[in-house]
Amino acid sequence: MATNEQATATAVDDGDRPVVELDNVEIVYDRHFLAVQGVSLSASEGDIVALLGPNGAGKSTILKMISGIGRSERGEVTRGRVFLRGEDVTNDGANEMVERGITHILEGRRVFEDLTVEENLRCGLYRQGRRFQFDEDDYQIAFEYFPQLEDIMDLKAGYASGGQQQMLVIARALIHRPNLLLLDEPSLGLAPKLVRDIFETLVEINEREDITMLIADQNAKRTLEIADYGYVMENGQIELHDPADVLVEREEIKEFYLGTSSEDSRYTDIRHYKIRKRWT
Amino acid sequence: MVNWVTLIDISLSGLGLGALYALVAMGFSLIYKVTGVLNFAQGQIAMVGAYGVVIFGTATVLPAAIPAWAAVLVTVLLGVVLGLALERVVFRQFIGEPVLSVIIVTLALGSILEGVIFFLYGQNAQAYPEALTFGGQLSLPLGTSIQAAYAVAVAIALVVVAVLMLFFRRTVTGSILRASASDEQAAMVLGVSIERTIALAWTLSIAITAIGGILLATSSGGAAVSIENTGIIIFAAVVLGGLDSIPGAFIGSIVVGVLQELGSYYLVGGTAVYVPFTDIQANFGAGFGEILPLVLLLVVILVKPYGLFGTERIERL
Ligand SMILES: Nc1ncnc2c1ncn2[C@@H]1O[C@H](COP(=O)(O)OP(=O)(O)O)[C@@H](O)[C@H]1O
Ligand SMILES: [Mg+2]
Repeated sequence: MATNEQATATAVDDGDRPVVELDNVEIVYDRHFLAVQGVSLSASEGDIVALLGPNGAGKSTILKMISGIGRSERGEVTRGRVFLRGEDVTNDGANEMVERGITHILEGRRVFEDLTVEENLRCGLYRQGRRFQFDEDDYQIAFEYFPQLEDIMDLKAGYASGGQQQMLVIARALIHRPNLLLLDEPSLGLAPKLVRDIFETLVEINEREDITMLIADQNAKRTLEIADYGYVMENGQIELHDPADVLVEREEIKEFYLGTSSEDSRYTDIRHYKIRKRWT
Repeated sequence: MVNWVTLIDISLSGLGLGALYALVAMGFSLIYKVTGVLNFAQGQIAMVGAYGVVIFGTATVLPAAIPAWAAVLVTVLLGVVLGLALERVVFRQFIGEPVLSVIIVTLALGSILEGVIFFLYGQNAQAYPEALTFGGQLSLPLGTSIQAAYAVAVAIALVVVAVLMLFFRRTVTGSILRASASDEQAAMVLGVSIERTIALAWTLSIAITAIGGILLATSSGGAAVSIENTGIIIFAAVVLGGLDSIPGAFIGSIVVGVLQELGSYYLVGGTAVYVPFTDIQANFGAGFGEILPLVLLLVVILVKPYGLFGTERIERL
């Protein structure tokens, strides 16, 4: 099991305060259901951090409590602390977290289906002073990374393809101008070629826009390719963590690949993935 | 033989009536779409709007009247304040409660509003201030004509509908309102406050419903308790349009308005109507026009429960 000491180690190295840091966090839904236990992790400025693990491990729960949206699902941090650049933000609401520059891209490509692609992008402008007016320039950042969107601006988002919808939710988040982006399963249900494209674009965004990213994904191989650091979760706890290049080489992770990278098991849960306790 | 001029005349006034209903109907759909509340007090809210102008614009209840335009403004503003208070005090308690309990609350609310108006004015119609009554006829092409008061009311209604549509389609706030209605959480992560969105929805809904009531009154010379019936008529319109579709509410209202006008004119008491291609003759009693939309309501619920433009996930009523 991860301890405080392990988690803070990555952050303290460069002397900076981590953008986001969880210290021995326990998360409970509905006051009774224990979803996450003793989790410590951190992401430094400009890093891409991978949060890996099978379905039900607790990845989404962690993202939801960082963005504050978990509160609307009756989730609560019942132990430990969450820090944003050193500030204690434990159990703060979604509104406050948005004000602090966090944008959460929810699992499952949550486009506003009956709005057009353009109207979806427009919703990303909301934070900047509750705007009434907007112009085409506001969309430039979206077109820069996802030029395809420019051709389907009038399409109802519900009719866009899975790949287009994934690009749309990332673009909408970009327009929102975050400094920390939480991405939940950006690769889920997408063809391998698309996943590669989207992940490449994420790296570009990370480098050029200076946005720190925390990516929860079941596709360990792809995610570790672009990440600086990785955490592997199971049953609500962190089982392994290391710099991405080190993590990729670990035996337990190679086993984990088999469950996720093979094409035909992409849509199913990983049955045979099991990290043995002796490794931690 | 069909008299074409009359038919066009009647259809036009039906379209106009539909445009007036549309404000009340869109008020209904907006609240349903954003908050999930089926507001069965729409008719009474429209009626209170209509009487509000009488209360403030004539010296019937208050010691002195204020100018007519100010009376309209005060009525709409007070309506909005009342709506926001109701949301805060009453409807917020019912978020996540079964649909039925909220429906009963709105029915009770309707009765209370109705009681207040009956208490103040009894069942009598009340004339509108001079400034809001226009006599005369406007001539239209083909020898048809329309009453000036009616034409003005319809024109204003259409402007309000257009402004509302532009707001929904062309502004960030309007898009956000529709976005929150379709996926609350995905809107929240963009910084949208759901409470504020709900307050905005009530504000807009009450405002256009009150304006609808006022226009219904000006188009007929004054406030009358019959405006209350709009509540059930627009229900036919929104069910046809698909409860949660705002353009659907508009189109449904137009259909219902035309149906009602045609029905009232052609199927008045004693009129004999021949069923086409047969010798069968039907006689209709008075007031059949107002029943037609309700017949339509029944048919739609049976045949197409989600209406023309509604989303299928809506609970069947
Ligand atoms: N809103 C919720 N209410 C109650 N339990 C939840 C909720 N969301 C997730 N859970 C539970 O919390 C655990 C972790 O889920 P989740 O964070 O979604 O995992 P992952 O994203 O890794 O698949 C699961 O057992 C799941 O059933
Ligand atoms: Mg998840």
